[in-house]
Order: sequence, then C-alpha cells, then structure tokens
Amino acid sequence: MFWVVTANFTEDGAVAYRRSDGTWARALAEAGLLDSEAIAKELATTATQREQREISDAYPIQIDVENGVILAQSARERIRANGPTIRVRRPD
Amino acid sequence: MYQYDDYDRRIITERAQQFRGQVTRRLSGEITEDEFKPLRLQNGLYRQLHAYMLRVAVPYGLLSSTQVRKLAHIARTYDRGYGHFTTRQNIQYNWPKLTDVPTILDELASVEMHAVQTSGNCVRNITADHFAGIARDELEDPRPYCEILRQWSTFHPEFAHLPRKFKIAVTGTPGEDRAAVRFHDIGLRIVENARGERGFEVLVGGGMGRTPIIGEVVREFLPKKHFLSYIDSILRVYNLHGRRDNKYKARIKILVAALGIDEFRRRVEEDWEASRTPELELPDAEIARVAAFFAPPAYESLPASDPTRIVLGKDRELGNWVRNNVVAHKVPGYSAVIISVKQKGTPPGDVSDTQMDAIAGLADRFSFGHLVVTHTQNLVLTDVKTSELPALHAELRRIDLGEANANKITDIITCPGLDYCDLANARSIPLSLEISERFDRIDYLNDVGDVSIKISGCINACGHHHVGNIGILGIDKRGVEFYQLMLGGSPGNDASIGKILGRALAQDEIVDAVEKVLDRYLTIRESSDERFLDTVRRVGFDPFKVAVYGSADPLEAGAE
Repeated sequence: MFWVVTANFTEDGAVAYRRSDGTWARALAEAGLLDSEAIAKELATTATQREQREISDAYPIQIDVENGVILAQSARERIRANGPTIRVRRPD
Repeated sequence: MYQYDDYDRRIITERAQQFRGQVTRRLSGEITEDEFKPLRLQNGLYRQLHAYMLRVAVPYGLLSSTQVRKLAHIARTYDRGYGHFTTRQNIQYNWPKLTDVPTILDELASVEMHAVQTSGNCVRNITADHFAGIARDELEDPRPYCEILRQWSTFHPEFAHLPRKFKIAVTGTPGEDRAAVRFHDIGLRIVENARGERGFEVLVGGGMGRTPIIGEVVREFLPKKHFLSYIDSILRVYNLHGRRDNKYKARIKILVAALGIDEFRRRVEEDWEASRTPELELPDAEIARVAAFFAPPAYESLPASDPTRIVLGKDRELGNWVRNNVVAHKVPGYSAVIISVKQKGTPPGDVSDTQMDAIAGLADRFSFGHLVVTHTQNLVLTDVKTSELPALHAELRRIDLGEANANKITDIITCPGLDYCDLANARSIPLSLEISERFDRIDYLNDVGDVSIKISGCINACGHHHVGNIGILGIDKRGVEFYQLMLGGSPGNDASIGKILGRALAQDEIVDAVEKVLDRYLTIRESSDERFLDTVRRVGFDPFKVAVYGSADPLEAGAE
C-alpha cells in the first residue's frame, strides 16, 4: 500500500502533491510515493507547519499504482487529481 | 433599486482595502492559513477541491444591467469565463486566484456589490420572492424590508459571531410562498390582521441540512414598526442559548426544537420587552424612504393582453416557452419572463461571460435594466411588454437560454457536488445533466407537468433535496458514490420534507429510477391535473417502491 501527501497551493488554491525531494507539484504523477502511513502523516503535519506560505492543509491519501500510473483511491481524490468530470467553460 | 449612500460606499470600499492587506500578509507568510481562513471566509472566499471559490452577494437577487456586465467582466478577466448562480440568489466564481481577489472586490465595490455575508456565522444574504414587486397576488413588496434587514445586519457587531450561519427570507405574498420561508432560520410573511393592518407573521427554526425542520410560527402578527427590534431579540436569544459545542447542533432550529416553540417564544418576548428601544423602531417615514428605491418603473399604459393568445401560432417552440416560462404580471400589458439557466449540457446555474453581457443588454432593452436571480438558479426579467415576448425569445434562443422548461423536470436545482465542493460526498451535476438529456422531450415535460427535482451531493443540502418533489442525495459508501431517492418534499405553503423511498442506488441506477417513478406517476394519476406531489400524497410510496425496487416490501426495497 502506498500513500502520497497532498495539499493546496496558497496562491491559487490548486491541488498540490509532495514530490520525493520535498517540493510541491501540481500533478499526481509527480508525487513521491510513501510506503508508510505514519511517515505520510508526519510529513503532512510538518509541511502544514513549516511550508504554510506555499501550501496549506496537507494530508495523506492512499493511492494505487497500476502499470506505473498513480491512481487515487477515493472518488473525491480522483476528482481532485483530474479536475471536474464535467466540462469547464474555459479550461485555462 | 437601492443605491448606496456614502456610508455604504465607505464600508464596502474599506473592507476591500482591508482584505488586500490581509491577502498580502498571507502571501508573504506573515499570517498562517489558520489565521487567514476566518478572514477570507468573512469576505466570501472559500477554498474548494481545485481552487478558491468567491461567493458574491446579490441582495434579494436583484441586479442591474451594469452589475451584470461587471460580473461578466470578472468571469472573463479573473475566472474561467463563467459564473454560477446559487440557491441563495448569489453568484459564485469557481476559479479565482487569491492574488486577484482583492482586485475583484474593488471591481465589485465600484458597482455597489461585495462578498460579505456570503460565508461565516453571521446573517447571510437575505432572500426574497423572485417575483417581488410584480406578482399579481402580492400583498406588498418585501424588498424594502430585505434592504432594511441588510443594512441592519451588515457588520452588526453583536451578531458577527453567531453559533452558526443565519438565513432570513421574506415574502410579501401570503397565498404562495416562492421564497421557501418555512425552511429558513427566520421566515417573514407580510400579512394583514383582522383590522386590515399590515405586519409580519414570523416563523423561526426552519432549515434543511442534516436535520430538516419546517419552521414554526413564533409570532402571528408583528407590527411593521417592531420589525427590527423583534428580529434583534430572536437573534439575541439564539446567540445566548444556541449550542457552540457541536457545529451540527448549532443552528437555531436545534435550539427551537430543544426548547419547544412556546419556551423559545417566551424567551424572545421577555428579551423583547426588556431590550426594545426607540432606536430600533421603524418609523413609517423610514419605511417609505427605503420603499422609494423600489418604486415601480415607468410602465406604459397598455391594454391587458393574454400572452398565450398573442403568440399561439405556428412557432411551437415559442408557444411552449410562453406556456412554461412566462408569468402573469400585475400591470396590464406586461409579463415576467423566467430565463431558464438549465441548458442542455451545462451545469445548472452556470452562465458564461458572453451570455451575461447579452442578458444585461436584454434587461436594458426589454425590462428597465434589471433582472432577478431566483433561488431555483434561474433568472427573471420582471417587466417585459407582452407584445415583445417573441422578440425576447428569439434573442434568448440566440444565446442558448431559450429553454422552455421552467418548473419542469429538467429545471433542476443542483449543488456543485463533488466536482467542485470540498464537503460533497458525491457528484450532483452529472446527474442533472443526464436527467436533462434523458427527458429532453418537450411533450414529455409538459405531460409530466410541474415536478421539482433537487439534487445535493451531501447532507448539507445545498441542492435543497429535502424539499424536492423528487429529491436526490449523494452519499459515500467506502469511496464510491451512491444516491438516495426521496419523494414528497415541497418548499411552499404546503411545506413538507421528502422521505427516502428505499435503499441507496448506484450511479448507473439513479436516473433509471427517476424515470420509473415518473412513468408510474403518469399511469396512476387521477387526471392530468393531479400534480406529481398530490399523487404521491394520495397513494403513498408503495407504487413507487414497486416501480423502482420491484417490491413494496421494506426489506426487499431495502429501506434505510
């Protein structure tokens, strides 16, 4: 089982994923995989405390890896990762 | 329409300036998210799944064409080309950047708009009957009282930190409740007493959410002059005694239910007698001063005309639109027009920037430069010459807003659901789009008649599922979306709360279930005049359980 740490960027509220090197990405595919929920929780707590200028409200999510692709498990996290399932007028 | 005075202008401009400073401090790291969150929420700025969301207040739903053009400009410049009209008669933007929000607030202030009272535990944007001022059956225009309440409640220091949010709705039409006043923390109905005096029937403790309750009458007749002082006392009793230990038990409806309406009334009356001061009395002159802002526009003297007689001809699309979307007006020769914001393939309530600009132009050309947002996520041009209905319809068709489905099964209230909302358990917009697609047959819509479908993606009930004739509630079962189907709700004078029909249905079952319910209704109704809601009330749930689950047996239907 794997976890990644997710949050939201302060500047635009977009979904953020913690890379292995501690920087923050906008794509789930770039997230650093963690094999311990405890470590994921600790990293999320630390990130929320120390990196609050860039991101906020970090938390761990459980993911699957299929054929090298990272997939969020819950409907909520899949939609966070991929965007609304309905057409947005102007994707930007 | 109300025009800001210097005081209004100053407090809104100053608030925008304050927020610019707060955003600067947040972006520099001077304040944390925990410190910033209450500040941004007090300015209508939420953070949803993918981005911030800014909710802009539209007091009692009334907008000028100038304001609509500004909303279009904001959608185009700072968002993704659209805005979303909400069930609180507001508009929200789903993609603003934090760095742009102070400038958006400046832009809003320039047209006498703001985003305060759209979040937080304060008195929220006050809503009203969307046909206020023009309804034939109206006793008195409720908007002056909404505006007085807005002025009284904005930044009210005593009520800035209530136990929970507080929603007030006002109607001036006792005979038909189009503002869902029985489902508000306070509902106000303008009524006449036995002596022919006008005042308010005051309801309290209604609401939806996880504990739906129909409001109860706390005072049968309140003279107008005591309007503010009595509401002041209701809020004070709530502020003092409402629960703050559990946010799910903190709304006034829980306090009223716990105390009982008689004890709640006693406490309000006791406070009222003790706290009533001349400052809060409303002199007739002040009511008249505010009412003058809502004086009728310069109607022409026109002969009475029946719209259906004017336009019934070869244009069947126009005929259906007049039949379904045009409403009688109190002034001869005029009609009110519901612009359905339930277009095929587009989320309910969503309007693009170009459509907003076009609507502003139509408001100027056809309706004295004003329009109204409804709590059903549509728009109303309130003052259209009946003779100009065909021209207006042609223009609306040109901008894809000519749907003839007002109050029909494709005129669905839908919350943003899991596609956007941080609180949601399930998606709601895709369901409404699928229902719209499935029933995209005008003859079927007309045959089924007036049926409200309301969809919420979670128990907070932003989509008003409790009061849908057909309500749909999204739930989460171990990360998978399921839906409960409810029947029998109504927000009006015959208020009722819908009940769950049976076991929750999977995403690929729920629209089929809605179709089965409607088909069963068509076969068992006594006549085409019997509304869906009346049929449900007459026959109960069993025929519909059989239609959906194959059995009326509670175990087989899996009642939860």
